[in-house]
Amino acid sequence: MKKRQKKTIILFLAPIFIFAVLFSYYPFARIIINSFSKVNATGFITGFDGLSNYTYVFSRSDFGRAVSNTLLLTLLNVPVTMILALLFALLTEKKSTLGSISEFLFTLPMAISMSAAALIFKSMFSPDLGIINKVFGINTRWFQDPKTSLITVVFLTVWMGIGFNYLLFLYSLRNIPKGVVEAARLDGSRGLGLIMKIKIPLISQTILYTVITNLILAMTCSAPMIIITQGGPSRSTTTLLYMMYSSGLGSSDYGLAAVVSIVCFVLTMLLTVIIFFATRKKVFYR
Amino acid sequence: MIGSKRKSSDIIIEICAFALAVIVVFPVIYCIFAAFKTHSEFMSPALLPESFGNLNNFRNALSQAPLMRYMLNSFIVSFAGSLVRLVFSVLAAYVFAYFDFRGKNVVFFLLLGTMMMPGDILLSTNYSTVSHLGLLNTYTGICIVSFVSASQVFMLRQKFMTVPRSYIDSAKLDGCSDIGIVTKILIPISRSTLITLFTQSFLTLWNSYLWPLIITASKPEYRTIMVGITKLNSWEDSNYELVLAGVTISLIPSLILFVIMHNSFKKAQ
Repeated sequence: MKKRQKKTIILFLAPIFIFAVLFSYYPFARIIINSFSKVNATGFITGFDGLSNYTYVFSRSDFGRAVSNTLLLTLLNVPVTMILALLFALLTEKKSTLGSISEFLFTLPMAISMSAAALIFKSMFSPDLGIINKVFGINTRWFQDPKTSLITVVFLTVWMGIGFNYLLFLYSLRNIPKGVVEAARLDGSRGLGLIMKIKIPLISQTILYTVITNLILAMTCSAPMIIITQGGPSRSTTTLLYMMYSSGLGSSDYGLAAVVSIVCFVLTMLLTVIIFFATRKKVFYR
Repeated sequence: MIGSKRKSSDIIIEICAFALAVIVVFPVIYCIFAAFKTHSEFMSPALLPESFGNLNNFRNALSQAPLMRYMLNSFIVSFAGSLVRLVFSVLAAYVFAYFDFRGKNVVFFLLLGTMMMPGDILLSTNYSTVSHLGLLNTYTGICIVSFVSASQVFMLRQKFMTVPRSYIDSAKLDGCSDIGIVTKILIPISRSTLITLFTQSFLTLWNSYLWPLIITASKPEYRTIMVGITKLNSWEDSNYELVLAGVTISLIPSLILFVIMHNSFKKAQ
């Protein structure tokens, strides 16, 4: 009986763990090892290389730009996505017929893939043919001007994130116990005060969760650059993972790819830890 | 008095929300409308095409790239990937829900730990693993990295724990094997959860871009649809209505899945 149980446990857990090790733990260990090694173009390690991969990457002129672009994109993307999603959730919190249609529409961007959305935004923001310039009668060059390119990418990433954030906010707002809100109303809380002092603290756990997920998505953003901007113009949209893709994978430089990935991972972790510490007294755990 | 005042403010809020919602979905509407436009219509600022009978863009998009083949590739990869993922999750969730053994918590946290490592960061090393396994440009190569989903295991474990322990114990007394318990009791009971999880992961795999892009870089016939549509773009840069027709084709399955998911969420609520 005991033996049979042991067999079941091993047999049932083996598949998922073999793949978790093969495609999560092993590659993670391997990027750390790769970053300190000479790696040839087919991905085999040919020798120890000390810190030379790091010094090489840190001395490249596009690296600093990639770090600052990644951080800037994250800094813009995370708050804007969340504020918009929270606003939409507050507006549709009360159930109604029209509201349920709005609900459906607000979550719809969740269904759209990054590549489809990137192509749609590329055409909408096309300087000569796009509807945005025509409707507003302007001739901004959006993705093609180094001054506006990153902002335009943020429009896209914000749009991609809204659906999921909205859904989480809506459910957590609706899960606030009715009595709490009623009691606050009786105490004279209204409008903005009710939202800022009662509702937002009560959903702070969800807010923290979405900050972290948005942060990871923004820090690892690369698809819009691969599809629309190729990191340009003049490197204005080169992010860390775009650099990993184009200069690392694109030229089979696994040492560079490993270093850039690690930098991206460490920065993301660091920001996550900072956010946890900065909010630990403010987040309300029910 | 107060009641009617509250009502009118509610209506204003509802209308504001609806207007904002329309702005949010505007890119999708724009894409679908543009797919029916001729090139000269696309140049004009009008939103609506003259007629929805103009299918030339779809015809051209389908003849420029084997989009139907790409759809089939996407379908195979998303279906197989989601199925394997779900089977792995069910097996693991069963153990985590009903067995006690030494180191159970360690094993569980080891699994949750995979969520800490964003897949895109592991791209370069996963790529060399898959290429050393000889799986570049294969369906297996595309879906092999998505077999593990810790969040799915977590949700299924929660679901399984709601099944009364006595069902499981009496089935065991009757000599039912563990596989039997999973297939005859747990899967039927958690059918709706399983369908939701399957739909979700199908949509995620259908929409994935970066991994299929690098895995199928040297053999275009294995491209998935989401990679395929981006290649419409580089051929004829100004011909956006053709690109958007391709995008519209790729969106049909995504939107159908989304409606299914939306309804199952509604029911769950």
